[in-house]
Amino acid sequence: MKKVLLLFLAVTTLGLVSCNSNDDENGIVIDGIDLSKDVDCCSAEEALQVYKFLQTVKIVPALSTEVDGLYNVWAYTKTGTLHRGYNDIYFVVTKKKTGNYVKNFDITNVTPLMNMVKMNMWHSTPVGPAVESFDETRLAVKHGWVSFLMNTSEAGTWQISYDISVLGSTGGIKDAPITVDALPAGQDWLKNFKVGDDTYFLSLVNPSDFVTGSNTIQAYISKKSNPITTPYALASETFTIEIDPRMPDMGSHTSPDNVALTKQADGSYKGSINLTMTGLWRIHLTVKDSKGNIVAGGDNQKDGFSSLYWDVTL
Amino acid sequence: MIGTLLLAILLPADTIPTSSLLIDEVVVVSKAGEGQKRSAKGQVASIEEHLAELSHVDLVRRGSYALEPVVNNMATERVSTTIDGMKIFYACTDKMDPVTSYVETSNLQSILLNSGLNGNSQSTGNIGGSLDLKLRRSGFDGDAFQLGANAGYETNGHLQVYGVDGAVSSRRFYTNAGVFYRHADNYKEGGGKEVLFSQFQKVNVYDNFGIRLTDEGRDVVEGTFIYDRASNVGYPALNMDVLKAEAFITALSYRHQFKESFLNSWETKAYYNHITHIMDDTKRPDVEIHMDMPGKSWTSGLYSLISGSKGRHDVQANYDLYYNRLFADMTMYPGGAAPMYMVTWPDVGTLNTGVALNDRISLTDRQSLNLIAKWAVQWQKLNNEEGYHALRVFFPGMKDSYNQVIGRVAATYQLSLSNSQLSFGAGWGSRAPTVTEAYGYYLNNTFDQYDYIGNPRLKNESAIELNGSYKLSTLNSKLSISLDANAFFFSNYIIGQFENRLSPMTVDAEGVKVYGNLSHATIVNTAFNTDWKLLPWLTWSTRLSYAVGRDDQSDPLPLISPFSYTSSLTFAYKHFQGKAEVRGNSKQVNYGKKYGETATPAWAIGNISGQYTLLIQEHALTFRAGIENIFDKRYATYSDWCDIPQKGRNVYVNLSWTL
Repeated sequence: MKKVLLLFLAVTTLGLVSCNSNDDENGIVIDGIDLSKDVDCCSAEEALQVYKFLQTVKIVPALSTEVDGLYNVWAYTKTGTLHRGYNDIYFVVTKKKTGNYVKNFDITNVTPLMNMVKMNMWHSTPVGPAVESFDETRLAVKHGWVSFLMNTSEAGTWQISYDISVLGSTGGIKDAPITVDALPAGQDWLKNFKVGDDTYFLSLVNPSDFVTGSNTIQAYISKKSNPITTPYALASETFTIEIDPRMPDMGSHTSPDNVALTKQADGSYKGSINLTMTGLWRIHLTVKDSKGNIVAGGDNQKDGFSSLYWDVTL
Repeated sequence: MIGTLLLAILLPADTIPTSSLLIDEVVVVSKAGEGQKRSAKGQVASIEEHLAELSHVDLVRRGSYALEPVVNNMATERVSTTIDGMKIFYACTDKMDPVTSYVETSNLQSILLNSGLNGNSQSTGNIGGSLDLKLRRSGFDGDAFQLGANAGYETNGHLQVYGVDGAVSSRRFYTNAGVFYRHADNYKEGGGKEVLFSQFQKVNVYDNFGIRLTDEGRDVVEGTFIYDRASNVGYPALNMDVLKAEAFITALSYRHQFKESFLNSWETKAYYNHITHIMDDTKRPDVEIHMDMPGKSWTSGLYSLISGSKGRHDVQANYDLYYNRLFADMTMYPGGAAPMYMVTWPDVGTLNTGVALNDRISLTDRQSLNLIAKWAVQWQKLNNEEGYHALRVFFPGMKDSYNQVIGRVAATYQLSLSNSQLSFGAGWGSRAPTVTEAYGYYLNNTFDQYDYIGNPRLKNESAIELNGSYKLSTLNSKLSISLDANAFFFSNYIIGQFENRLSPMTVDAEGVKVYGNLSHATIVNTAFNTDWKLLPWLTWSTRLSYAVGRDDQSDPLPLISPFSYTSSLTFAYKHFQGKAEVRGNSKQVNYGKKYGETATPAWAIGNISGQYTLLIQEHALTFRAGIENIFDKRYATYSDWCDIPQKGRNVYVNLSWTL
């Protein structure tokens, strides 16, 4: 294998001299991490992949903790903050001693709770089915998601708990207060609908990644739990989500060849959406059950469109 | 047909051979009284007024500025426009700036029109014809110093025109330079109603120069510089106006004249031009949504033209190469919400290179044969990712680069007899889709109220042309009658086609059209002209023309001229010339209803004009005056976009003075 010397300088570190990094046999150096062989931890190359990934996300301090004084648990989101609607959350665990990433750990019972102050009531919100590795090249990064129903406001505040077990140690955070930001105007990524007594939530995944052109559109359908303080799991039923993207600011014109979201093996719903320019796109929704009956939206309001919609502004 | 229009009286020019029936030329600048085509307004006339003098030319009008020339009932897509052989491409997705709008009368010596597939050597894609705007060069060995001034005023719209130019000439060096300024307020239609947003203002500065490298004068370097800027231009037929339309045009050429060789001359020119076009809707009171729509075009290229004659052959060979970049985008600002942005021309780079051969064979004293062939290959790349991905929504399989091969061949036979001239010709030619036709994105066309989307899968359009003309001089040459006709049989004719599946982006648009190929289409043009010298000082001229355009289902194509006529009496007495004319169109019967065109009613107007030249110690002072649309008729022609009415009665006076 070619010998490649890769140097990564942490933004905060100005001099290499002060680094306590060690070269491994491939010549990989990562500032602040001791890459000496450790069966629990990443090899130098694996660590490099993880390190690279972590440059693309930001730490959420409220979700980070330490376990037994041995391990640091770091939680990340794209922006370092949480917002209303769907949030990807990434976890890594490092050994305090070496700074290297631990390969295996389990995070369970992710439980966000909102205290509706005025109503003196608590409820949870849709949470992804598991926190697990999502990319074979960086197995030490675990991914989960939470879709917050509301943002933090005078009406209510959020707290979150989870359990972690890492190399025989256990820990976690308990009722840690968190702030959930509101989305800017023109963004509305979480909607609900009712079928009988059941309430379902439609979480649109990361529409901020949408660009002009053809995009994969992904969403989850979660079902409200009973009791409502239990995190809302994915709905076991199978639906189809038909989409009709429109631009309300420009005569409500649409784009051609959009493909309805259908259920995938991983429990998510995927389709494809064509966005012909930037600006506000109102994605009108028609939800059908497995027999093709409309269960939500598709009601063609006065303007001719479904009253159930996501708003996405590119 | 080939034609030239001379544009004025100041400077002698290299003569352009126009003996052929196939060439038409309007002279911008020439010595007085040479009897060639020229505008009644002399050098104060706009480029468009000069163009209107050419046979087979019509003008599409979206305002009172920047009219789009149409040749043989074919517009910009099928017509090549070059400036002294230089390629230049307009920068507005709404065709508000045909390239003829970036030069000014004072820049030009003449405008040469090659009808149909003949084309000048540098032109490509010219199915309908090619216009070459010949720059005005004072030349070597002329008067050491010349100065000229022009001023004009028109009552309708308070049009003011001022121009000054000067020339220096010697054995080794010449230069001529000038400044031109036009300003107009809103004009009034027939009946006196003001046409809002029809104002404009334009400044043009130019310089041409030449240097002889040796005293012998066989090696010449020539250069050109033109800066042209139009601002605050209203377009009553559109939803927006123009803040700025700016062009910068430069060229440098080297020419060698051979001595005692079958080669005559060899000219190589390198050029660069760029255009910036900024639209503006902030002055419109009723815009649905404010938008910015800037466009940019830049072109760099060269050509090398070598000409020679041997025996019966007069041969020209030309190599040309150019690279053009076109980018336009659009941002719409809904009040309070996020702006909507899209790329309307995805920064398309076009590299085109070709060779042309022209052989003029004198078969006998009376017969000649003209052969033209051009072959070009072009590569196109979409350099803007966002625009490319947006287009892929409509054409998922499209690529970001394309190439095309285009060519044309034409042959014309001409027979000259003592009292008559006869010619006929045939040709085949093809053109690649334009950037708008292939990659345009939601371009709203106010003519039919459709949003147009380009189609990268278009095939090249091609046409077979047949033409013939006959000119007869009779009654001791007092009466001349000429008849000419041409027919174009298209394959894969490119036109916007309804796409009901798509929803229009523009508020109030009727729908979406996507450019497509019609398997075939036909355009036929005929013209009949007479000039009758009734008295030594009085000539009666009549021009009649008729055209037919049919699509693949034999339905009328849009924007085809109805029957049109002009009849005029010209008086000439000593230094005075006068003209009275009637011109009109019949009712448009065969209009492109299917394509969203509406019928235009018949119209007729009367014009009078006069010209008097005063010679004061060899300095000529020419005074021109006239009345257009004397009876103040309210009318619009078939090519007036959205039927915006033409000018009502207009009285003009202008003065040209040379020192």
